[in-house]
Amino acid sequence: MSLKLVWRFLLSHPVRSILTCGSIVVAVFLLCVLRTTVVALGSSIEAAAANRLVVQSSVSLFVPLPLSYQPKIEQVDGIEHVIKWTWFGGYYKDPQNFFAQFAVDAAATMEVYPEMEITEGSYDAFLASRQGALIGRDLAEKYEWSVGDRVPIIGTIYPRADGGAWEFDVEAIYDSRNPAFGEQTLLFHHTYFEEVLKAEQGPEALAAGVYIMRIEPGTEPTTVMAAVDALFESGPQRVQTTTEAEFNRQFVTMFGGIPTFLSWIGGSVLFAILLAAINTMLMAGRERTRILGVMKAMGFGSGSVFALFVVEAVVLCGAGGLIGVAFAKLVETPIAVALSTMMPGFVLTTETILAGLAVAVGVGLVAALVPAIAASRLRPVEALRAEV
Amino acid sequence: MALVPFKYTLRSLFVRRSATLLTVFGTGATVAVLAGVLSLNKGFEALFEAHGREDLVVFLRPGAQSEGESAFSDDRADILLKSLAEVATNASGAPLASAESFLAVRLRKTDGGETNVPIRGVQPATFAIRAGEIRIVEGRNFQPGSDEVIVGRPVSERIRDASVGDVLTLNTTPFRVVGIFEHDGPLDSEVWGDVERMRVALKRPVYNRVLAQLRPDAEVAALAARLEDDRQVPAKVQTEREYLRNQTGMLSGALQFLGFFLAVIMGTAAVFTGTNTMLSALASRVHEIGILLSTGFRPMAISLAFLLESLLLGLLGGVVGCLLALPLNGVETGTTNWQTFTEVAFAFRVTPDVLVRAVGFALILGLLGGTWPAVRAARLDPTDALRRR
Amino acid sequence: MSEQALIRVRDVTKTYRRGGEELRVLEELSLEMQEGSFYALMGPSGSGKTTLLNLVGGLDRADSGEVWVGDDELNGMAGAELARWRADHVGFVFQGFNLIPVLTARENVELPLKLAPIGAKRRREQAEYALELVGLADRAKHRPSQLSGGQEQRVAIARALATDPLLLLADEPTGDLDRASADQILDLLQRLNGELSKTILMVTHDPAAAERAQTIVHLDKGRLGRLEHPAAAPTATTGS
Repeated sequence: MSLKLVWRFLLSHPVRSILTCGSIVVAVFLLCVLRTTVVALGSSIEAAAANRLVVQSSVSLFVPLPLSYQPKIEQVDGIEHVIKWTWFGGYYKDPQNFFAQFAVDAAATMEVYPEMEITEGSYDAFLASRQGALIGRDLAEKYEWSVGDRVPIIGTIYPRADGGAWEFDVEAIYDSRNPAFGEQTLLFHHTYFEEVLKAEQGPEALAAGVYIMRIEPGTEPTTVMAAVDALFESGPQRVQTTTEAEFNRQFVTMFGGIPTFLSWIGGSVLFAILLAAINTMLMAGRERTRILGVMKAMGFGSGSVFALFVVEAVVLCGAGGLIGVAFAKLVETPIAVALSTMMPGFVLTTETILAGLAVAVGVGLVAALVPAIAASRLRPVEALRAEV
Repeated sequence: MALVPFKYTLRSLFVRRSATLLTVFGTGATVAVLAGVLSLNKGFEALFEAHGREDLVVFLRPGAQSEGESAFSDDRADILLKSLAEVATNASGAPLASAESFLAVRLRKTDGGETNVPIRGVQPATFAIRAGEIRIVEGRNFQPGSDEVIVGRPVSERIRDASVGDVLTLNTTPFRVVGIFEHDGPLDSEVWGDVERMRVALKRPVYNRVLAQLRPDAEVAALAARLEDDRQVPAKVQTEREYLRNQTGMLSGALQFLGFFLAVIMGTAAVFTGTNTMLSALASRVHEIGILLSTGFRPMAISLAFLLESLLLGLLGGVVGCLLALPLNGVETGTTNWQTFTEVAFAFRVTPDVLVRAVGFALILGLLGGTWPAVRAARLDPTDALRRR
Repeated sequence: MSEQALIRVRDVTKTYRRGGEELRVLEELSLEMQEGSFYALMGPSGSGKTTLLNLVGGLDRADSGEVWVGDDELNGMAGAELARWRADHVGFVFQGFNLIPVLTARENVELPLKLAPIGAKRRREQAEYALELVGLADRAKHRPSQLSGGQEQRVAIARALATDPLLLLADEPTGDLDRASADQILDLLQRLNGELSKTILMVTHDPAAAERAQTIVHLDKGRLGRLEHPAAAPTATTGS
């Protein structure tokens, strides 16, 4: 069928074409953002490393583990490194400025988290500095911190005895190759953490949040997990060793009904634009009854007439889809930065882009179907008689 | 000014019923989404803010955002429990104050998987403070000092081994479930037991918060100011309502943002569709408008008729949207209190307020969608309009 | 006539249903028409003129009987086959012109050529030739809304001619036109019949228009009425 004719039809009602295309733009944009959100919610599971295992208290996420566990875990076969990893839960100046901080065993951290790449400062400087901190790129940009800065962090779980802030020296900045391991994290020395706690609260306050281990290549994770769990079966704190994916899953499931809710919203959006597109194509079909009758009289078959509508709707909706995806791409970075503390991994995937376009084209196809079927069934004699 | 008869508007909507229906349902879907988000937020607010009492105060360690982060050693808690003049007393003169422990404990759900359930250790005074609020609906209350617990009704349904007679093991200690309780606010998402037994079983060296009922004449602000810098027991003092509002602020804010974001984005699409429908209505009635103009109707009257028709479309969309959203009322859903990482169950609440706002939103969509077509209608030249068919 | 007639209509009956009422438009009609002739179909409203035109043009099918055009029997063809046949054999001209408003004159004329297996260049040349035939080569780039009624109808005729069809079928081609424009159209049709030997079948109400044909076929209540030969042409039409 003549593309020129399709194009002319679209241009003959510029306002209607633009408004319809606009609805599709808006809808595809929204669908991409919603889907990206849902994907991001689960990205920490998808992107988890297979060779990292986490040892946590089997009682509660908030119960720390004794420091004495570390040497015992190290005895288990198949483990390359075990590091302490303690959630610090502080903020910078104001509770609004909340981001993740962890006290870690700095020496082996880079081995366990190879996705970190030091791009400013040096890892050795971080290791050598007692109050040193290693921070993510986004964090550095958000608060305009650079190497050499002293950063005050107020601890909500571990307040200083004098009511003041903990102070850390930024020694290195990392970029992350893994979108689910965000760049809004501050890591500092567990040794410094212990030193302060011991002095201010006594030795009984010392503990580690979780232990993260990297297992040797070829080791069966389930064997290691069972062996570690068995070590502390009778207390004092029973532990639960899981893969990193399982560990992350417990946070993801906390989103509860939110992914379902977002999917429902997406469904409604889809429904609404489908109706809008059908509306437009029906209008186009109605006003073209006579033209179609003439074309049929000329000998154009039902297939051509059908194709005319389908191509028109697909061009219109496809264009809307492309623009919608482009808008989604445009807001990707700002949203990703805004959400990164809460929900890293807000990345517009190729899959989402394709899904957005497929939805747009699919809506076009379905919307074209109604008038197209009507038109292809239209008997030319009746079409020619139609009043428009 | 003579107005175009209302019948014309109704007839026009009926004659073009396929376009009318498509527009109404499209707008309806948009309105339903907004109503859904609003009613989710309503359910959330109803659970937290509506049940926070003004006469109760919560003491936390300074700097703590929630009781999970807060801690009071035994001697400090003792001072708060016994030495504050603002705290009300019972008939025998004992202060109505209770030290509580709080821990989000990993428990298995009945449908598989794990979730964090708040385990609260309470002193007997808690029940005096919350007399009438906590209702035991099955079994009995736990005996102070014993390894017994009572479980909130929703928790008993979702969590394994949490029915009366079951044994719930916390770390290594078995606790017997002896009762099920209800609370209209967030407390029935919790498991309660004796605070001292909980501290032993869960190895908690400290209390997490102190809860107290104030005398009617007590000044909360003054108490808060006094304790903020207290050398002996520095504490952050909030009324229970304030405390709960702070707990939900983040999620509530997120929901409000989501509602606003969706309303703007989906509303734009709905306005586009409405405009399209009305422009097509205009195009098919040019001749008729020519007749109306030539019989003496003012362009303004024609304009108003179009605006009215569009508003009516919006209204119908609003009604459809509300009807679509109504079945959500009472549907239970769960999310997490991010301050304590515990699960919170709550229900959508499609209140009259939500419906009014949804219909208002639909009318705004109708108004915006009708504006441009109405302007175009007013600009039609009567002789030209008569000629066009 | 020793040769077989181009159009042979045999015992054709056609009934329409309107609002539950059966309306018999053609009643066992039989008629033949010769190649290269110009026929006018006349008769009061409801006499079946347009129906007959549509049947001969393959736009509609009879309830019973046969419609032969050359070696093809149209009444037995399926919809798609009929559409192909129309593309190859007929050109239609309508009372309301029915040009596609979004296309220029030349593009309108080119449209039916899209169904022919020829390249874009040939298509363009053929469309320009057809426009030249109707005297509108200089209006090729105008949209229908920029043309007068008479010009629009000439573009429509050019469109009907573009594929060089066997039959040119016109349904009230002058019905919407003033006298002067109508005469121009009728001159054109006569010229096409005379110079290019096009077989033309024209439905009309207008006696002056009908006068231009070689044979006037009168229909009355679905039956064949009398035949007239206004120009005293030797063309024969035999009814039975």
